[in-house]
Amino acid sequence: MKQMKLFLGPQHPGMHGNASVHLYVDGDIIKRSFLLPGMLHRGFEKGMERHSWVNNISLIPRVCVVEPDINEMAFAMGTEKLLGLEVPERAHWIRMIILELARLSIHLMAYGGLGGPTGNYTLMYHAHADRNSILDIFEQISGHRVYHQYIVPGGVRKDLPKGIEKDIHAFIDDLESRYEEYRDLGIENPSIVARITDTIMLPADVVWELGVTGIGMRSAVNKPYDIRKVMPYARYDQVEFYAPFADYSDARARIDCKLQEVLQSISIIRQCLIKIPEGPVRVPLGRGQSMRWTVPKGYVYSPVESSRGEFGYYMVSNGGTNPWRVGVRGASYPQGLLGIEKYMPGTRLDDAALWVDTMGVCSPEIDR
Amino acid sequence: MMNSMSNIEYVKGLIEKGFKVLETDVIDQYQVSFVVKQADVLQVLVTLKNAGWKQMSYLSAIDWPDETKIEMVYILMNWERAVHVQIRSKIDRNDPVMPSIITVYPGAKYYERECHEFFGVKFPGNPDYEKQLILEMWDDMPPLRKDFDPQAYSDRKFTKREYNQDYKILSEDNKLKEKREARKERAQSLKGGPKA
Repeated sequence: MKQMKLFLGPQHPGMHGNASVHLYVDGDIIKRSFLLPGMLHRGFEKGMERHSWVNNISLIPRVCVVEPDINEMAFAMGTEKLLGLEVPERAHWIRMIILELARLSIHLMAYGGLGGPTGNYTLMYHAHADRNSILDIFEQISGHRVYHQYIVPGGVRKDLPKGIEKDIHAFIDDLESRYEEYRDLGIENPSIVARITDTIMLPADVVWELGVTGIGMRSAVNKPYDIRKVMPYARYDQVEFYAPFADYSDARARIDCKLQEVLQSISIIRQCLIKIPEGPVRVPLGRGQSMRWTVPKGYVYSPVESSRGEFGYYMVSNGGTNPWRVGVRGASYPQGLLGIEKYMPGTRLDDAALWVDTMGVCSPEIDR
Repeated sequence: MMNSMSNIEYVKGLIEKGFKVLETDVIDQYQVSFVVKQADVLQVLVTLKNAGWKQMSYLSAIDWPDETKIEMVYILMNWERAVHVQIRSKIDRNDPVMPSIITVYPGAKYYERECHEFFGVKFPGNPDYEKQLILEMWDDMPPLRKDFDPQAYSDRKFTKREYNQDYKILSEDNKLKEKREARKERAQSLKGGPKA
């Protein structure tokens, strides 16, 4: 039979972000596939070199659209490492609350995204409604809904508003009470279970070959390989949580790990709200002017655990007011490019969107 | 998991024993960087991979036009020992050639392709490195080199748009124009700060 070329994306209900997967299909089996990135290339790495360190604070959250806070955290941590700066204790805990709320919001969005390719839009509506509540909390904390620019080098921009603890508790209690409902809608739903069990596999040797991290890696190698556990940043060494893992990585195991992480994030937020101390939230950087500070020479890689794996900034300073080079290690780069080229062929056409969804491919961090 | 400082010592011993290291820098308890000669890079990577650094986290380059060098960066990760290792090596900027590492780390394939696109580094051994990836129909020098000026490129490539500068002040109470002038002045005064 003759092969036919089809495009998945950029406009497709199962495709996240502006990237296109080119598929060569024979019948409904994919024979050859590759990702066409570049529709979202905005030249961030060049842009960061052309702006001062302080200007970059407003530029970096745009690198990943749905999960901006990890960018802020990686950038802030890298700058602090170069400056040799110690952040106030309270700022660490506020950062953790922000990061875990962001993790909840992206997990909800990704889990709800499962509704697109499987045709179960109820799940998506529920998840987006809950994500909206998180954005409301972010709006109260930082004044912004999506790009918060809240975690800055030296701490956080300002202290938490009074009474926000009540809102956060109310939200996470509500989300936790409906956790089983979420499971029933998605991962326990018979129409979806049939689509995700024993399919879209990610064996451990493929994980090491591609360099996949995060949930994809943990669900395959059966080890808690999480940056928060292995090399803890902020105060993740002082809270109790576990990184969910599994030894059989089909699509279902990965989604299951994701849902377990939701519970862990809720638990971390609760512990943070109890343990958070009083005190200042930001230290002055103390080098040069407030807007044109300089950073000493150095090379640093600052990784954080995003919802899709190890996300890092490689930062080089030559001692000036601008970064000399900032490189972004997107968490979904390996599975998004090489993974689609090598391991998507062989799956069925209707599973292509699920493949992209459950592997956690995020096109903005491939394009930068 | 072992003590992280002893892990740093372990990797330092591993690399410094076998190769000529030009510079070692312990960045923090989870990260160490080595500068090695270009000829040693592949062997260093093989040594590290056999010692457990199974994951390649990042591959990129840094442009240093003043020294006419391009610096290659490889970041490897060992999850058991919890150490990120940076391997850096400077290569000639005018004819940058770096042997491909896809035989050691297959995941480097697209990183090298991207690096060729943005820095012009050639990677013999990688079958696809010359194909375009992100920049469609690019017709200028590799854009992440320091002498590439995006402003000049955009001025040359695209026609200037003309904006209507006139605006009416509808009511006497409207202080928009004064505000705008004041803001412009303030921006100018900030620009003239002392150079660092």
